[in-house]
Amino acid sequence: MPLRVMVVDDALFMRNILKEIFVRAGYEVVAEAENGERARELYRETKPDLVTMDIVMPKKSGIEALQEIMADDPNACVVMVSALGQDSLVLEAVESGARDFIVKPFKEEKVLEIVKRIMQ
Amino acid sequence: MDMSQYRELFFSETREHLNNLNQLVVELEQQPGNRETIDTLFREAHSLKGMAATMGFNRTAQLSHHLEDLLDGFRKTGVVPAATVDYLLAGIDLLEGLLDDMTAKSAERSIDEFLQRSPSTEVVLVAEADVSSPPQVNGNDDQSLPLVAVEVEPSDLVEPLANIEEPDAFQVLVSLAEGTVMASARGILVLRELEKFGELMSSKPDLDALRNGAPCQQIQAWLRTSLTKDHIEEALRKITDVAQVRFIDDRRREEVSREDAAKTIRVRTELLDQVVNLVGELITQRYLLNSAAAGRNWDELRQALGQTSRLVDDLHHHALQARLLPLESITGRLPRIVRDLSRKSGKKVTLRLTGSDVGIDRVVLEALTDPLVHLVRNAVDHGIAEEGTVTVSARREKDLVLVEVADDGNGMDSERLRSQAVEKGLLTAQQAENLSDRDALMLVCQPGFSTAAEITETSGRGVGMDVVKSAVVNLGGRLDILSAPGEGSRFQLRLPLSIAIIKILLVRCAGHPLAIPITRIDRTLGLPTAEIERSGSERVFRLGEEVLSLVSLPQLLGLPEPAVGEITFVILTELQGRKIGLEVDCFIGQREAFVKNLGFPLNHLPGLCGATVEGDGRVVFIVDPQPLLENRPLLSSN
Repeated sequence: MPLRVMVVDDALFMRNILKEIFVRAGYEVVAEAENGERARELYRETKPDLVTMDIVMPKKSGIEALQEIMADDPNACVVMVSALGQDSLVLEAVESGARDFIVKPFKEEKVLEIVKRIMQ
Repeated sequence: MDMSQYRELFFSETREHLNNLNQLVVELEQQPGNRETIDTLFREAHSLKGMAATMGFNRTAQLSHHLEDLLDGFRKTGVVPAATVDYLLAGIDLLEGLLDDMTAKSAERSIDEFLQRSPSTEVVLVAEADVSSPPQVNGNDDQSLPLVAVEVEPSDLVEPLANIEEPDAFQVLVSLAEGTVMASARGILVLRELEKFGELMSSKPDLDALRNGAPCQQIQAWLRTSLTKDHIEEALRKITDVAQVRFIDDRRREEVSREDAAKTIRVRTELLDQVVNLVGELITQRYLLNSAAAGRNWDELRQALGQTSRLVDDLHHHALQARLLPLESITGRLPRIVRDLSRKSGKKVTLRLTGSDVGIDRVVLEALTDPLVHLVRNAVDHGIAEEGTVTVSARREKDLVLVEVADDGNGMDSERLRSQAVEKGLLTAQQAENLSDRDALMLVCQPGFSTAAEITETSGRGVGMDVVKSAVVNLGGRLDILSAPGEGSRFQLRLPLSIAIIKILLVRCAGHPLAIPITRIDRTLGLPTAEIERSGSERVFRLGEEVLSLVSLPQLLGLPEPAVGEITFVILTELQGRKIGLEVDCFIGQREAFVKNLGFPLNHLPGLCGATVEGDGRVVFIVDPQPLLENRPLLSSN
């Protein structure tokens, strides 16, 4: 069974890039969300194996969403996607249970490398 | 808590405690019933135990505790049995060995064998019976016996770093790739991964530091785990940005050299404050100078310059103070050495230390440590026949410190030294005869020259004296030997107070400015050229009763001879106790100079001991005439 992924980002552009990377790697993108609130709902509905989570988003930030998801499912695998310079937010996310983080701009290999390591 | 920041302080304090312990035990041997000494010894051992336990140096803590227990027993009886003095000293030796291990970041050596040799309780009980006042009648249960209990009370263990006795405890060094972004977050992930392997005992940086965004190029972690290193490495390497994983079996074997340990120095905060204040005043002064210069107000400028120079003098003085350590810091070991030597040789030797509080530059002191021990050993081995006193004294002499090792023993016979030099083929009979007594005594500094009929285990006179002399000369100092048969011997070391900032005489030599350390100059003379005479191939001049050789400094340096004027400028210097005149073009003046070390290949030129930068930015070489004169082609007497 292929790995089931949810992509969370307020920019369609970013979601599409990530979706393409995952599809090419043979994963199944089961959901995509454009804000934190939607991310939490969709997580409950789809129970993905992995979530990539943007940090700065409208309605609910990626960190809040992460914290709520972790509260629902302590085994959730969430990888943060962050821009350069958001060190303190990434620190907070890591503290809150994010498994890893990807820094924008990223390369396809790097993303897959991180995902593979986490899913082992 | 990260204890590594306290390492240096721990080492320097431990060294002090060990010095004290050594001295106190030797004192105790002379006055076995001195309660105050026993109490102090007990407290020293106790402090050492607490410190070592806090740092997680378990064997050191265990051994200190053992000695503390032993001493506690003596505190109760009020007397230290003579038989245990050697045991105590051996314990201190072992502690010194442990300190070496800790500084070198290697595992602490074993103390089991020593603990097994612990004097039997009977010895102590006999000692108890020895004291005139009856021993405590009650409460002499097993626990108060001084030889048991070696574990450290939990109360003394303030967060020990770890128990390194565990075979599965080791250190992991995880290096992150260059340019790793968000390194602290990455560091947290690495720590989190490490936690999965077993018990993560401590790390540097630790989690708190990383949370606060501490920079993180490398994570040093102490781990206790049953997993294999291969397994751990494989898992760590998968983490993004992890560039290298290394393992170090013992937590203390990091790549910090031992030398660094001795390079810390404690400075009184008061002194530090004064230095900072002075720097503050200098900053203010700079504005005054600026405004005076801008307004072309010469009076104000002159005044501000005067104040600046006073401030700089003050700052120099204070900065120098920070580098000065009391001679005590290296004489602390001497009582113990003398005690051991006199025991071994069966001689009765008393050691007197005076002026131990004289301050000497740290660098000078470091280089002086071994020579001083050599001299004291020589004095005990060869100076003193059966009974006598060795005196180590220090006092200030202007810009110099005079350190003297004197004994009231046999003294040296310059006549005998002469004949030995001839026997050994070091001198011809004629040369030996021409040698002054003072020069003859200096023969012991020739490599391989020894007057002792038999060479003892520790020293032979002559063995090491060449080392002593070169150490002193390398520091820009001078060694003199005063001795006569039946009058004892005195070895005088004249050393500069500081070797970073020295007083120099600026001279012109074949047209070039050159600096000569003031410590090398007895006086300067302006000599009517007509008064210079010839004696064989040498030029000589009269000074009072004496006839002195005159050597041209330009010639020594291979520079062209300047034209002869009516007045010849001469620097009087001393070579092996004999005055010699050095001719220069003229004197420019005295000043203080900050000595810059020379790089290769200039540092290999004899006589060139550094350079200093003049006010106008010109580099001026500092020349030490001593090696130049010693190596000059014809020094044969007359």
